[in-house]
Amino acid sequence: MFELTLKRALLALTAAGALAAGPASAAASGDPIKIGGLYILSGSAATYGKFAEQGIQLAMDEINAQGGVLGRPLALLMEDDQGKAAVGIQAARKLVYQDKVQALVGVDSSGVALGLVPTMKELRTPLILTHAATPHATGKLCNDYTFRISVNEEQNMRAAAELAAKTGAKRWTTIGPDYAFGHEVWEYFGKYLKKFNPDAELMKETAFPRFGAEDFTPFINGVMQNKPDGVIISVWGGDLVNFVRQANNLGFFNQGFQLMFAVGAATEVLTALGPQMPEGVWLGTRYWYAGYDSPRNEQFVDAFKKKYGVPPSYNAEGAYASIYAVKAAIEKGGKADAESIAKALQGLTLETPTGQLTLRKGDNQALIGPTWGRTGPMNDADKIRSLVDAKTFTGAEVTPALEDTGCKAS
Amino acid sequence: MTGIAAALLNSLDIGLLLFIIAVGLNIVFGVLNIINFAHGALYMLGAYLGYSCMNQLGMPFWLALAVAPLAVAALAVLVDRGMLRFIYQREISDSLLLTFALLLVLNEAVRMIWGTGIHVVEPPAPLQGTIVLPGGLNYPRYSLFVIAAGLLALAALWLLFNRTRLGKIMRAASLDRDMAQLLCINTRRVVTCVFAFGAWLAAMGGVVAAPMRAIDPGMGDKIIIESFIVVVIGGLGSFPGALLGAVALGLMHGLGGRFLPDVNLVLPFIGMALVLLLKPHGLMGTGGKA
Amino acid sequence: MNSKTYGAVALALVAAGLVALPWIAPYFYIFIATEVLILGLFAASFNLIFGYTGMLSFGHAAFFGAGAYATAMLLLWLEWPLLGCLVVATAAGALLALVIGFFSVRLNEVYFSMLTLAFGMMAYSVVHQWRSVTNGSDGISGFSVLGLGLGIDIPLGDPSVYYHVVLACVALAAAVLYRICRSSFGLMLRAIRQNAERVAFCGLDVRRYRLAAFTVAGAFAGLAGGLIAPFLRIASPEMMHWSMSAEPVLMSILGGTGYFLGPFLGAAVFVLLETWITSITQAWMLVLGIVLALMVMFFRHGVLGALLDRRRESK
Repeated sequence: MFELTLKRALLALTAAGALAAGPASAAASGDPIKIGGLYILSGSAATYGKFAEQGIQLAMDEINAQGGVLGRPLALLMEDDQGKAAVGIQAARKLVYQDKVQALVGVDSSGVALGLVPTMKELRTPLILTHAATPHATGKLCNDYTFRISVNEEQNMRAAAELAAKTGAKRWTTIGPDYAFGHEVWEYFGKYLKKFNPDAELMKETAFPRFGAEDFTPFINGVMQNKPDGVIISVWGGDLVNFVRQANNLGFFNQGFQLMFAVGAATEVLTALGPQMPEGVWLGTRYWYAGYDSPRNEQFVDAFKKKYGVPPSYNAEGAYASIYAVKAAIEKGGKADAESIAKALQGLTLETPTGQLTLRKGDNQALIGPTWGRTGPMNDADKIRSLVDAKTFTGAEVTPALEDTGCKAS
Repeated sequence: MTGIAAALLNSLDIGLLLFIIAVGLNIVFGVLNIINFAHGALYMLGAYLGYSCMNQLGMPFWLALAVAPLAVAALAVLVDRGMLRFIYQREISDSLLLTFALLLVLNEAVRMIWGTGIHVVEPPAPLQGTIVLPGGLNYPRYSLFVIAAGLLALAALWLLFNRTRLGKIMRAASLDRDMAQLLCINTRRVVTCVFAFGAWLAAMGGVVAAPMRAIDPGMGDKIIIESFIVVVIGGLGSFPGALLGAVALGLMHGLGGRFLPDVNLVLPFIGMALVLLLKPHGLMGTGGKA
Repeated sequence: MNSKTYGAVALALVAAGLVALPWIAPYFYIFIATEVLILGLFAASFNLIFGYTGMLSFGHAAFFGAGAYATAMLLLWLEWPLLGCLVVATAAGALLALVIGFFSVRLNEVYFSMLTLAFGMMAYSVVHQWRSVTNGSDGISGFSVLGLGLGIDIPLGDPSVYYHVVLACVALAAAVLYRICRSSFGLMLRAIRQNAERVAFCGLDVRRYRLAAFTVAGAFAGLAGGLIAPFLRIASPEMMHWSMSAEPVLMSILGGTGYFLGPFLGAAVFVLLETWITSITQAWMLVLGIVLALMVMFFRHGVLGALLDRRRESK
């Protein structure tokens, strides 16, 4: 009834793998290199932590089957931060001091990231952010132990603003959750939109329902009344599912304004909504499984679908890539302890499903861009909407210069 | 003008949905003097079971509406026999704690059984889409159904408590348990029935809410505070009061969310506190000691 | 040896163990112990209202959070020494408790519980939405703990140093709280819990005693909150949420509400169980629920009650 320790399960798997491995593959043996995963595993957003765990597990299984790293297998220990910074900090301490992990990957919530990132200096262990998008984590809070392998909100909004300016819509407003993420989406979108289209108007009337609000109808009605030309929506997860269904009922999608969903192309949301996600709206994502033509991506997507039955969400890919980053860092530096990994991660370049990825020296932010596209017809094989006119922005196009991030060399 | 009308109508359907969900809590407290912290979890369980019935077993909505709450009521009987019977004679803090323990167990159980994903159920075919109301307002059919269902529930409950023998027995047991026992009313069985009935109502609320809300493991926690507010404002033990409380809360969400977004989180608690201070038995509560 | 000597010896051993902890236990347990001490104080402050005065408050976390926020703000904006912040935190908790208690102690039983719940959630909502002052749901972080104050220069950033500071503060606070509980004031509170009407018939103002207890409890909760903000490096709205208010309730019940040290023991059991069980399974809430249910059904007097095999006078 209880879930087995992942540690035990993985060790068992490794042992079985060692026994079952044919002469062609070298088995990983020796003391496992432990990596901690800190995500939301309970409550409404639990599905995000689940996807991350699946991505990590897939990466570790692949790596361990090929001999591990420096001959040693990788082992995962997951902790639940419940989306709360205080819980996250204590869990990180436990992973580092008690479980002796050499690297941490996580977190889902920008709020948790804001609290956790400064403490990484005391923990002296590298943290690779794979989901939380607050730019401050690699901006004003940057430090030598914090890295981000996923797109941050400033990069995402620069891309969004460029697309928004092209649509010609002038008056923009936002509906977003009332915490760091929602407010930062609006802040950065506004900043870049003004750059691309100085005539654009950022309306004063905005809507910030509480994160986890079940009923968005009052906010949807409010926005419709104010008659904007375009709306950028940063609601995510279960909230986004509720939002879209309620919006459908209120005719929100027939009003003729441009709609951009900052993180709308999330497979868990699209799966839940199915055909209810309307056609013709702009969806952004940090990773779209059908957005990359490379063999590496195909191999990842196929392996993920085979193992879990669904296409990988962006959270899964980010977590997957972070494990490969740890592997690359260990191999680059030759050593598997936390400090060496942290040093080796700086300026690291590696091959991921999204292509060649570099963690920029200075702020440790990956030079990577989001994928934006319009919703198109239903993809019957995967049972979710497809994205048409999809554009994957490059890191160079969307990443601000180091001087502009607020990150001061430590 | 349509802005206010839409907000009002929205308040009504939020309110009546909340009424269906919260009235069970009210009844259990009124008759049994127990605050059931697990009420939200029972609501969530009803929603998940409804989802399973409809999406996995292919039942139509109306059948799920009949089956799922009964399953939850059966579970409630087991809980009553297995856990609550130890603490019925004790003070109220014990029931708060025990039902809190039940909440923890149910929350985890739901996550273990159905996983962490977000699920969606559709309203039944005749209730899908929107309808144009007099005045030009476009409103979802299912929301109107919820309003109707809430009013129907109110009428049914009033009839039950005031016109049937069972209702009289329950009221007798709530007023004076020992006396009722002396009159050969099997109070043990009444207690089990009422608790199961409260759970049935909560689960019913869950199935009714399912087409309107994303089904995820956090939905039980979100609803419990709302239910408490409804019960307190309306009056612990009074279900016309629960309707009043629910509509009041619905108004706070609907109008507050639309016109006072900066303070809409704190408004319901201010309302709750005011009612407790000025009319502790609720706006329509009856009797009892304060 | 009679039971009193047993008790004294046991207490001395525990105290010695606590002081020596950083040198005898694995490094991570310093953090566990700090958390246990702080939450133990929080729970003990709650037990003054619940176990001694018989009022079940569901908003106690408001005072805890008030202390945390006061400390965090002072550290972030004014960079005060820690002792100064703790004094303000205690005062903040006391003041908030005085205001909330003034309204709440008029009511009895369920109504009191619901009103404290309402006030607690009100505090949470205000802190959550007032982004300009409290930084909203992201909480206040990014402050560093610099000096202790009073000219004592020790590195508070070192976990074992901070642990000893917390130990000293909590021990002192517990001693004061103990004196209060054993005084005639404490006796009055217990009398009120047993039969408030009779106390009123004796001509005493029950409400004033309750308010005093509530305020004192709020003060100690504020102190606990003041200690936790630097420990976790953050003050967040969840520290005022009703689920945080439920923790001292659970800990007191676990340890035994009839004993002064019950809440402390309950805090230790709770935190240790949580740490061990989350290492094995992700279903920690399930285990906690089962343990709590068993405690309420069969071990009404908590772990200490079961251990000491003594029964408090039942009502």
